[in-house]
Formats: sequence, structure tokens, C-alpha cells
Amino acid sequence: MKGAGPAIECDAVSRRFGERLALDRLTLTVERGEILGLLGPNGSGKTTTVRILATLLQPHGGAARILSWDVARQPMEVRRSIGVMPERPSLYDRQTVEANVRFWAEAHELPDPGTAVARALAFAGVADRQADLVGSLSKGLKQRVALARAIVHRPPVLLLDEPSSGLDPSAAAAMESLVRDLAREGTAILLNTHRLAEAERLCDRVAILREGRLVQVGTPRQVRAALLGHIVEVELAGVVDAPVRRAIESFPAVREVWWSASAVRCRLLDAERDTPDLVARLVSAGARIVAVRPAGDLERAYLELMSQPLPGSLAA
Amino acid sequence: MSLLTIQPPVRALARKELRELRRHRMIVLTATILPVAFLVLPVLNLLFYDPARAIGGPDFAVGQAMFCFFLAPVIMPATMAAYGIIGERDQGTLEPLLTLPLSDRQLLVGKVVAILVPTLAASFGIFILYMAIVAAVVEPPVRGPALDPAWPLGMLVAAPLLALFSTLTGLFFSARSKDVRIAEHLSGLILLPSMLPVLLVVTRTIEPTLAAWATMAGVLAAIDAALWRVVVRAFDRERAISTI
Repeated sequence: MKGAGPAIECDAVSRRFGERLALDRLTLTVERGEILGLLGPNGSGKTTTVRILATLLQPHGGAARILSWDVARQPMEVRRSIGVMPERPSLYDRQTVEANVRFWAEAHELPDPGTAVARALAFAGVADRQADLVGSLSKGLKQRVALARAIVHRPPVLLLDEPSSGLDPSAAAAMESLVRDLAREGTAILLNTHRLAEAERLCDRVAILREGRLVQVGTPRQVRAALLGHIVEVELAGVVDAPVRRAIESFPAVREVWWSASAVRCRLLDAERDTPDLVARLVSAGARIVAVRPAGDLERAYLELMSQPLPGSLAA
Repeated sequence: MSLLTIQPPVRALARKELRELRRHRMIVLTATILPVAFLVLPVLNLLFYDPARAIGGPDFAVGQAMFCFFLAPVIMPATMAAYGIIGERDQGTLEPLLTLPLSDRQLLVGKVVAILVPTLAASFGIFILYMAIVAAVVEPPVRGPALDPAWPLGMLVAAPLLALFSTLTGLFFSARSKDVRIAEHLSGLILLPSMLPVLLVVTRTIEPTLAAWATMAGVLAAIDAALWRVVVRAFDRERAISTI
């Protein structure tokens, strides 16, 4: 593994298709062991970003690097370092599961392709289907085979394009779990997805693209806070009484309060920092708390962002 | 493009291609029917040769038969080569394939090898069968001209070069077209006129001497080398994955 810098690095990367600017000075990094979710509407530049990092497209401006290898100047080194899982499983349907993954292992010149294939198939949970023709598998199993193929050479960087697209909830959950395990082993993962709930659960950080520009980046909590305000909702096991009201109104971090019969929503100065203190005050005031949650989720934050005028680019 | 340049990733690609071709119904059908037809028709032509009714002499009949054997290595790779790049794109496997650590040249060598292996196996296979049948059952006056050593020599020299020419032409159009059928049709337009020099030899307009074969081999090798450079230049990854 080359260098000690970020596993994935985009430095002001731009890309045009004719007159259209598909990617506008995108700057972001992904560290080893981190999952970065790339979000955005269709045509926002997500696939272009993945294709540039996968050496399929040349950047027209800026530089993109994988483990410090430049994707435009050192494509072979980059290809040895990445695993790519496209949105469609993109497997050879007329060949067996084992043959599909073995081809990848041999093309990467692995010293013991048999062991590598067996390990990858076992990891993806398809070892018992290795003799089956890929064309006979369900979409969920094909996605697992595609993941096994992408990781057979144990790449330090994974580029996943909608890995759970079209999967039923249990298959999608299984795929999420596999991706999480890979990150835990130190793989840097760029996850291109439309599934915001999945991104919220899975990603350490999310980057939101719009018309080729990076418009928001941070942990899902930071993105929610930035777009929806630092609002938390506290649900109580009973009605909101006077001591509870006093406890909230006297808390200096509370900027705004909305009351309801058995719940209260507060806009805090910094939800991440102030929520524990708010809860402590409420408990001291005798409140019996059923749940504390951020108001709104990443999906709501995303929709809020998409309804706003296009801001300038950020760097992640 | 010698065997020395076939590195492990290229071998892996060639093996994958061969597995894929074996399981592709259309290609299997083409690769089975054509060689059978190219074997049966010349054998019947010579078996039932009747000097009283034949147009032209025994040399002409043998020439007709030999034309089939020179045509086989040109026709057989056309479908496989036309499918080579555009077929991968159509089935959605091109993008991941292009993320493998294979240079453009390695990728194309893998494709070429995988097409040449079955083509040459079938071409030489049917030719050897033809020679064996001729030696066993065909009677004079066509037996002598049919067993002329000039033909095996010609096959040995020209068939691989003709097959390579056909393969590279198909791959060129496969890399530049947006549809397999268009790639097939365009390569067909180029391939058929290219058979003219062979036609001149099998009709004995040019005698099939060692010098004639050597000249033909030299010209074909030069054309193939130039065509290889054209194909490498024509193969553009961004264009290949674009659907527009």
C-alpha cells in the first residue's frame, strides 16, 4: 500500500461531457476504514466520480488519487488497488459463480487463486452456489457474487455503485453488514447510493453532490444538523409539566422550543454537544423519558438541501 | 503478439473468453455449422467429380474445394470478433472488465487469442479431415491435384494470417460500433474483398508455388501488423463504455 495519505483523494476534479460540466472541482477524501456515502440526484456527478476513480474516465481538471496513485497517470497501479462493484451485477451469466470470481483472481495474478476465490465466496455467503450458473441466481445472490468478485484480491479501496439497488430488505441488510465488515477490516469504501436510510446507517460521512458540485459533507448527524438545525425531539412518558418546562427554558443551549402534550422539540446550539446535558436536566426535573431523537432524518435533510438554491462548492 | 507476451492476466482473459464463447449459443452454432459445411461441400464436390459434366478440369474442382478451407478462417472469427467489445458492453460486463489491471494491448491480445484458438483448431481440423478423406476415397483425376503439397503449405502459411486479419477487422468495428450487428456487417464488407488474392491462387490464376505463398504471407503479415496498430489506436475506453 503506497503512502500514508488518504485512501481516496479528489483534488478539484472536473469533468465535462461536451458543453455540460458533469463534475465541478470536486474535492473530497476517504480515509482507510472509512465509508463515505456519495449522495445526489440523478445526473449530479456520482457515477462520473466513481468512473474517474475506477480509471474509466479521465478527469479534465484537477487530480484524483487512489493510495496516492494518480488515476490518469498510473492507471494500472490504481486498478490493482481497487475493487469495483457496479450498480448492475455485470457478471458473465453463462458462467458459474466460481468461474466469474476466479477470472478476477487470475487477472489480478493472485498466487493462490483457488483459496482467494473460496475465501471471497465464503465472505459473501455464496460458497454453496459456486457451481451454479450466474444466470440462474436471484438479483440478491448476483449482487453477493459481484461483491465477492470485487474483493477477491483484497483491495484496500472499494468503489460501490448502488450495492443494494433492487434488493429486498433482508438482502439489502445482509449487503450492508458485508460492507460494514469490509470497512472494519480497513477497506476505504466509496458508496454511491440513492438509499438515504442506508447511507445514514452505514456511512461514517456523506457527501452530497448537486449538478456536479459538492454541496454538503459531514457525518450524517452533522449534515442533518446543518440542514435541519440542531433540533432534538424528546418524548416523555406523561404530559409536559411545569418543572420540565422550567428545566428546558432555563437551559442556555436551547434556542427555540415547540411543545406538545407529551413531547418537546428543542433547537439547540449544538445538538451533538448539548443533548446529553438537556437529558440530564430533564431527568433531574423528574421527567420520564421514552425517547430522544434528532428531529428529521438524513432523507429530510437531503430533501431540504435539494429545495434550496444551489450554493457554492465545498471541500470534504 | 507472440506467445511470450501472453502474461497471466491475458491468459486469464483468454480462458474466460473461451468459456464464454463455448456457452454462447449463436457462436457455438456458427462455429459448428460453418466448419461442417466447409468440410462436407468440398468432399462431396470431389467425391462426385464427373469429368464429362464438370465445368473446368480437376484443378478447378480442387480449387473450389480449397477456397472453402481458406474461407473458413476468415468467416469463423467474424461473429466472435464483432461481439468482442460491443458484446461485453451490451451485457454490461465491459465496465468492470476495464477496471482490471490489463492494458489496452493486453485486453486486445486476450480477445485475439481466444478467437484464434477455436478458429484455427476448426480450420485445421476440417482441412486434415478433408485430406484424410481425399487420400482414402477420392479417385483420380482429382486425387492428384487435391493431394498437392502446395495446399497444406498454403493452409499452414495463410490460414493463421487470414484468421488474424478477420479477427482484427472484427475487433476494430466492435470497438467503434454501437451495435453487434453493425460491427458484423461492416467487417463482412471488408472481409469478402480481402479473399481476392486467395481466389487468384485457388483458381490457379497465380500458381500455388512456395514463392506465391511466401509473397502472400508477407503481404498478409504486413497488413495484419498495420491493422493491429489501427485496432490498438481505435480502442478507446471512454468511447467503449459510452452508450451514445
